[in-house]
Amino acid sequence: MKTLRTEVAGMGDLVTGRLSLALDALDGDETAAHRVVDGDDAVNQTYVALENRCLDLFALQQPVASDLRIVAASFKIITDLERIGDLASNLGTYALTEQRSSVPEVDVVALAEDVQAMVEDGMTAYAERDVEACYELADRDDRVDANGLRASEQLVRALIEREHVTDAWSVERVLDDVSRLLLTVRDLERIGDHAVNIAARTAYMVENDRTLIY
Amino acid sequence: MSSNRQIDTDGTDSQLTTAGESEETVEDAWSDYQYPGEAKLSVEDLDVYYGDERAIKRVTMDIPEESVTALIGPSGCGKSTFLRSLNRMNDRISSARVEGSVEFDGEDIYGGHTNLVELRKRVGMVFQAPNPFPKSIKDNISYGPRKHGDLDTSLLSRLIGRDDRESEMALVERCLKQAALWDEVKDRLDDNALGLSGGQQQRLCIARCLAVDPDVILMDEPASALDPIATAKIEDLIEQLAEEYTVVVVTHNMQQAARISDQTAVFLTGGELVEYDRTEKIFEDPESQRVDDYITGKFG
Repeated sequence: MKTLRTEVAGMGDLVTGRLSLALDALDGDETAAHRVVDGDDAVNQTYVALENRCLDLFALQQPVASDLRIVAASFKIITDLERIGDLASNLGTYALTEQRSSVPEVDVVALAEDVQAMVEDGMTAYAERDVEACYELADRDDRVDANGLRASEQLVRALIEREHVTDAWSVERVLDDVSRLLLTVRDLERIGDHAVNIAARTAYMVENDRTLIY
Repeated sequence: MSSNRQIDTDGTDSQLTTAGESEETVEDAWSDYQYPGEAKLSVEDLDVYYGDERAIKRVTMDIPEESVTALIGPSGCGKSTFLRSLNRMNDRISSARVEGSVEFDGEDIYGGHTNLVELRKRVGMVFQAPNPFPKSIKDNISYGPRKHGDLDTSLLSRLIGRDDRESEMALVERCLKQAALWDEVKDRLDDNALGLSGGQQQRLCIARCLAVDPDVILMDEPASALDPIATAKIEDLIEQLAEEYTVVVVTHNMQQAARISDQTAVFLTGGELVEYDRTEKIFEDPESQRVDDYITGKFG
């Protein structure tokens, strides 16, 4: 059981490392963008290995009580981590296609820093069995959602209010940029949601507390 | 893979806890189980002694009717002693002494007015090793009712026209069907029961127990001597029996307790009932750390 938890924490480190690269990519680092887009295989392989380990534990050890909750929570958490890895790749792809058009600047980096910290704190709560930290983390997601919504509104409002764009090339460029930025904001929000899932499963693992799951 | 995070080992990866080191006491037992339905047996402040040694320590619990109650715990924890105290089988052990009360349908079986034969008829027992009589399959079923006078198939009664042979056959068929054995033995009811397989013998013993029309069936490790297929049949049977009877099962196999029971009582060393609750609660989120340690294999 301890080995499983150490390995899941290790997968957490791998994924937060990829989130750091995504954050650098959003900040304009093209090398980081390429690395995060190309490097998802390691996360996927780790996910498959840990999924098999959980299935083996279910089949061979038939865990119950606190052991059951460790395996069940870990089984769910690795899925969240794998999805966060995918979303980090998406962020790298968006960064590479950025065209720096005249749509308003939205501070996606600040949003990205918030959700990266949430994932890190979620995995620390998992490793340290800290239920209080799980609840704090869930509260922080409300702020991330509000900031994400504000950023999306800002983008749409700018699109509506901007002066008439006539040439086809400019229309296409603006639409691409707005779509890309909206997707970026949405993916960052989703990473926040996965961080909350990690916290929710951790609270279940430690105290059979399912409040955050629902 | 390594992590730079420190894995907190508090709680689940805790040091082994033994009864002696535990801070939990019998007063901390989690036994306030809110069960559906009525209690068939009500045990209150039960102590069982073998000489000076106390094998059961102040156990209080209700056993709900028409359900399966599993008793689990390490060897020597007193769970079989507790089971035997439910139909006064401990009376057969000269050094055994019982304090407290066990009410069966509201009557204290230790109250002094209990008819032991009637009690053991209504609270039947099935043991670990199948123990059929060395008689025919049919006679194994009808022996009890004949002894109790519920069936009359003697030569004399046949001569005076009071022969119950048809009733006997109906009873044999009903009990063997209830014990899920009829289809396997219906063509050889006069064969010796010792020729059956272990699993069949155990189901025959259950059928034999049913023949005297009990309310409660006590089972002490009923499947531990059987292979997985025979075990599965016994487990299915136990679940079916619980629709009509109150079943109490002692088992060392915790997965079996988890599979078949509605509620589980965990006894730990020293004859303490440490926790008693819905089986799902015991196996997913026990209140007691000692119970968690025991069922996850860290202790016991």
